[in-house]
Amino acid sequence: MKFKTQFLFYLILSISVNLGAQEKYRISTNYKGVPFDDFVSAVESALPVKFFYLDEWVKDMKLGDYADCTSLTCIMDNLFKGTSLYYYIDNSGNVVITNNYAVKVNANPSESDNKYLPPTEYSGSVENQRIEANTTVEIGNPAEKNKPGNVVITGYITNKVTKEPVSGVTVFIQKLSAGTISNEYGFYTLTLPRGVHLLQYSFVGMKEKIVGLNLYGAGDLNVDMIDVLIPLKETVISAQKSITLRRFEVGAEKINITSFKLLPTSMGESDIIKSVLLIPGVQSVGEGSAGFNVRGGSADQNLILLYGAPVYNSSHFFGFFSAVNTDIIKDATLYKGGIPSRYGGRISSVLDIGSKEGNRKEFAGNAGISPITTHLSVEGPIIKDTLTYILTARTTYSNWIFGMIKDPALHKSRASFYDLNGKMTWSPDKNNKIDFSAYTSHDAFRFNSDTTYRYNNNIFALKWRHFFNSRFFSSFSLNNSSYNYDISSKYLATEAFVLSHRIYSTGFKADFNWFLGRNEINFGLDLTRYAVSPGSYLPYNDSSLVIPHTIRKEHALEGALYVDDKFQLTDFLSVNAGIRMSSYFSFGPQTVMLYNPEFSKSKSTVTDSLNFNPGQISSKYAGPEFRVSFNFRISDKNSFKINYNRTRQYIHLLSNSTSIAPTDIWKLSDYYLKPQIGDQVAAGFYEMLFRNSFEASAEVYYKEIRNMLDFKGGTNLIMDENIEKDVVNMKGKAYGLELVLKKTEGKIRYSLGYTYSRTFIKSLGTFSDEVINSGKWFPANFDKPNDLVVTFNYLFSRRLSFSSNYTWSTGRPITYPIATYIVSDKLLVTYSDRNEYRIPDYSRLDLSLRISGNLKSHRIAHPFWTFSVYNVLGRQNVYSIYFKKSGQVVNGFMLSVFGRAIPSVTFSFDF
Amino acid sequence: MIKRAQIVLISVLLLLNSCITQFIPKTSEDKEILVVEGLITDQPAMSSVKLSKSLPLGGKSAAKTLSGCLITVSDDLGSIVNFTESSPGTYTPPGSFTGASGRFYTLHIKSNSFQTGFNYESFPVEMKAVPPIDSVYYEKKTIVESDNYNQKQEGCQIFVNTHDPSDNCKFFRWEYTETWKFILPYPVKNKACWVSSNSDIINIKSTSVLGDDKISRYPLNFVSNLSDRLRVKYSILVNQYSLNEDEYLYWEKLQNISEQVGGLYDIIPSSVPSNMFSFADPNEKVLGYFSVSAITSKRIFIRDFFEGTVTPYTDELCVADTIPGLGPIQNLNYSVWILSQSSIPPPPYTVTTHEKGCSDCTVRGTNVKPDFWLDDK
Repeated sequence: MKFKTQFLFYLILSISVNLGAQEKYRISTNYKGVPFDDFVSAVESALPVKFFYLDEWVKDMKLGDYADCTSLTCIMDNLFKGTSLYYYIDNSGNVVITNNYAVKVNANPSESDNKYLPPTEYSGSVENQRIEANTTVEIGNPAEKNKPGNVVITGYITNKVTKEPVSGVTVFIQKLSAGTISNEYGFYTLTLPRGVHLLQYSFVGMKEKIVGLNLYGAGDLNVDMIDVLIPLKETVISAQKSITLRRFEVGAEKINITSFKLLPTSMGESDIIKSVLLIPGVQSVGEGSAGFNVRGGSADQNLILLYGAPVYNSSHFFGFFSAVNTDIIKDATLYKGGIPSRYGGRISSVLDIGSKEGNRKEFAGNAGISPITTHLSVEGPIIKDTLTYILTARTTYSNWIFGMIKDPALHKSRASFYDLNGKMTWSPDKNNKIDFSAYTSHDAFRFNSDTTYRYNNNIFALKWRHFFNSRFFSSFSLNNSSYNYDISSKYLATEAFVLSHRIYSTGFKADFNWFLGRNEINFGLDLTRYAVSPGSYLPYNDSSLVIPHTIRKEHALEGALYVDDKFQLTDFLSVNAGIRMSSYFSFGPQTVMLYNPEFSKSKSTVTDSLNFNPGQISSKYAGPEFRVSFNFRISDKNSFKINYNRTRQYIHLLSNSTSIAPTDIWKLSDYYLKPQIGDQVAAGFYEMLFRNSFEASAEVYYKEIRNMLDFKGGTNLIMDENIEKDVVNMKGKAYGLELVLKKTEGKIRYSLGYTYSRTFIKSLGTFSDEVINSGKWFPANFDKPNDLVVTFNYLFSRRLSFSSNYTWSTGRPITYPIATYIVSDKLLVTYSDRNEYRIPDYSRLDLSLRISGNLKSHRIAHPFWTFSVYNVLGRQNVYSIYFKKSGQVVNGFMLSVFGRAIPSVTFSFDF
Repeated sequence: MIKRAQIVLISVLLLLNSCITQFIPKTSEDKEILVVEGLITDQPAMSSVKLSKSLPLGGKSAAKTLSGCLITVSDDLGSIVNFTESSPGTYTPPGSFTGASGRFYTLHIKSNSFQTGFNYESFPVEMKAVPPIDSVYYEKKTIVESDNYNQKQEGCQIFVNTHDPSDNCKFFRWEYTETWKFILPYPVKNKACWVSSNSDIINIKSTSVLGDDKISRYPLNFVSNLSDRLRVKYSILVNQYSLNEDEYLYWEKLQNISEQVGGLYDIIPSSVPSNMFSFADPNEKVLGYFSVSAITSKRIFIRDFFEGTVTPYTDELCVADTIPGLGPIQNLNYSVWILSQSSIPPPPYTVTTHEKGCSDCTVRGTNVKPDFWLDDK
């Protein structure tokens, strides 16, 4: 409270000083007929002012007879009337002249005009709101103020410190209940009536900015915003206020890096996937499972984009760490539904990770150390304001832990990973920006020194953003992403082998954004070429007898054209309608087996084969994907949204385990494997409560998925040349209710999220080995009906903050052994229906305390400590249940990963 | 062939304060499923069909055999062999019957007595010829190196080598029977016995990924020193079965899901489909398999010194009491047995045990020397 008063006081003070300053520039001389240049020289010598302008604008301009004028502003107003020139005078006496548009900071509007309020009146004009104008701006020529009709204002929102564009900022006008959100370039556009407006710019993790606007005509309004955590001057983290009211998509969640850095960590690392898991509707099958499940979708149905390129394996170390380093992340958006038409290729969700650009002004960096990992990032300009770089690196040194273990098997085991990110950004002028990004991640683990697993992600991306004008942007990108793993074993010299798998994709994307009146039109082209090496099994060395065997490469092309239009149909209804035409072609060389249709596909039922030559199309699939959203604004406090979207997915991750394993195989759709198709209908109601300090939402969804894959019992998918014989065609349906209540302001902030969701699948096969659970609906592996997530943050002071989160969910389904039998003296087990039972419920509480060492800005490094305790209650959450035979009895065991509380300390510093 | 990541994962997790608790799964099912254990071989008196019902989990009761069925096996030449029930649930063909390589066999199971529609049949299965076993041999394997705290411990790794010059048999399965001699350390009547045990894990190998149809150093059995198998003399009889690909895949699937299941990275378990089906309800689950295999065998003996072998017959476990005198003893041969008695030097005393097995080796094995047993010269 104390802070607020001070702020207000400062504000009023600064404005009044400002007004005084303007009055000060008194001019008594009549400069009639004097050329503008001479006038400037005369005024600059007589008064403490300095002019900035381009000579070509004022060529041949002479001053008229302004006998009534006694001040500089009066002369300037008269002089520029009817021209395309505007000016503003700042506190230090700089007179900046602009052409075509005007940005007047702290301007003094004409006193005679009572329709336009003087700036000082803003501070008190909105009652019971924590709103004060930081600045007042005029746009347009005041002479046009009485013209009828609306005008369009546009602008860019940038981070004041790094100069990076900020996307996802809500621009909101309380009085009109109108607003918009900045796009990925930080650009926004608003159509407003002429007059006085108060614009709120808000984004989670950034200081809210309020701009008073005297709007006379069309123009630009560029805004700088300040990150909350970097300057550490502001203790209030502003809310994502009204974002949910304004967004078109039901189920889009924007995550800002500063907010998720506050979350408790599990092993001293803040982690993007862990924060995604706190969003209602997002679940995982268990601690340490790679991947996540969104609204009943399997983990391979999530498109994870880094630098616009897909990340094929999103985890290190079996899912205990995300593969993407937090240091490179600027923000991330998760689309659980309402996926915009520019995204495609996966059916359940899109997690678009926005990456940082290097600091344009100065060298900066950050380093951190925890018991398991260490990371470092550096950034800065190569050419100031034009060419920047950012580099981040992270690695683990967990191997020393293995070295310390006495158990001979573990002593020789190793597990390690690292990742590197780099990005160079070149902004030759304000209309062009080119960046080149590279990413690599590597994991290796070895058990008992004879089998080594390795896997890698690699991404290269080149992106060119070009702004044709302030209404029309384009971006072109070319990227390359690959994932590969190899497993090598030398347990037996004669059978030593290397098994490898690789997926390689090259994508081209052209994306256009066109702001046309009340429409925001987005259209483009998306092409991806895939090459998959399903598997190769090669001798490890010369003494091995293994015959080299390589399954033929698969090739395919996925292409899509899309267009969508966001438009304001009426004041209370906006619509986003889009279509994505996607198509897919797989081509040869390829041999397709034909099977006797009377029997289940197997090696013994092959009747013939089809051969496809190189380049010959072996299968093709195409179809429209409709994406439609309606947003009804009931009042300025609440809104109702409904959407439908269809998505198609042409590549599949073959996994016959409960969780994604690093050794799962990517498979392209082919002659037999049809694309997966998802249809989702969702509706949501959003409301701001208690003077907008609370945000409540309720969303429901229903989803159907066709052509999901499952596998015949016990199949080994590695080195399987004809996967169609092991596949069972499945159908899925999911529905759920997601309730959220968030307090997003003040020193104490919290959120409550509860999800009730169900996911069922059923097999569609007709042969006995293709039927699972008699062809009835049964719960999917990740069907966890109840899910509660509570987060709580308390910012004691600028130096000290506390945060915690609590999670409770129903245990995942599991298949139990139900009976034993003996065949040739072996005790064998037969199983219940698939997923008939459940593991016990999951519950966990984490705490974290963050202390900044010193806030003095002149210090070279800003250190901070993070103390975290994971699973404070020490609950033995069941990670998995497994069964082992001992003698003639089958015993069940429950394994808990974190059987007790895990403390960790991380030391980091910015420099 | 390829170990799943589970093992590594669990090991990694062990470092992270993980913990494991045992529990008994509560399942409501008590369905009885037909279990077929059929085998047709090219060796006399080795073919049989055993029928039983599955047992509920955790139940230690003996298999419920299924008597009174009509079992026939037909081949692709049209000949039919009728099996007779030689013991409850076990059906055998006439003694002269042997299968032949290259023939396809089909098993038919019917019963008129207890259920209408009790009518099962297998898919036709081909008998593949099997090459002889080249060698069965062993190597000592150190389990624990000796150091200041530990004594050296050794086990015995037994390997199989085989090859098929005709390149015909690509899928192999092995079963083995271990027989070993043990001697009680007490002066009792039945002191030396032989005991046998059959393999209880699945041993299969495919040469389809190898250049030669040759298997070398297949690790068939590891004999730990934590039993008395290696103390006196040990013998192993290895039977090598030819498999066709379908049966190989059946055993592989069983192996995949039965070794360890339930973990996040384990294959989701499901029942492995049999090659038997019911005419009445093609979706009815049938367990087991109708195997058709040619068999070759090899036996080796191992008499060697292995460090750290243990015996169950230690004084700590066996000796209950040492009582003065030579009797009489209460509950003798009921809950108390005599290990040794001595009158010299005086006074006389009697050593007793509560474990009958310590005083009589026939409790655990047989004192009749097996026919194949070769005594050392």
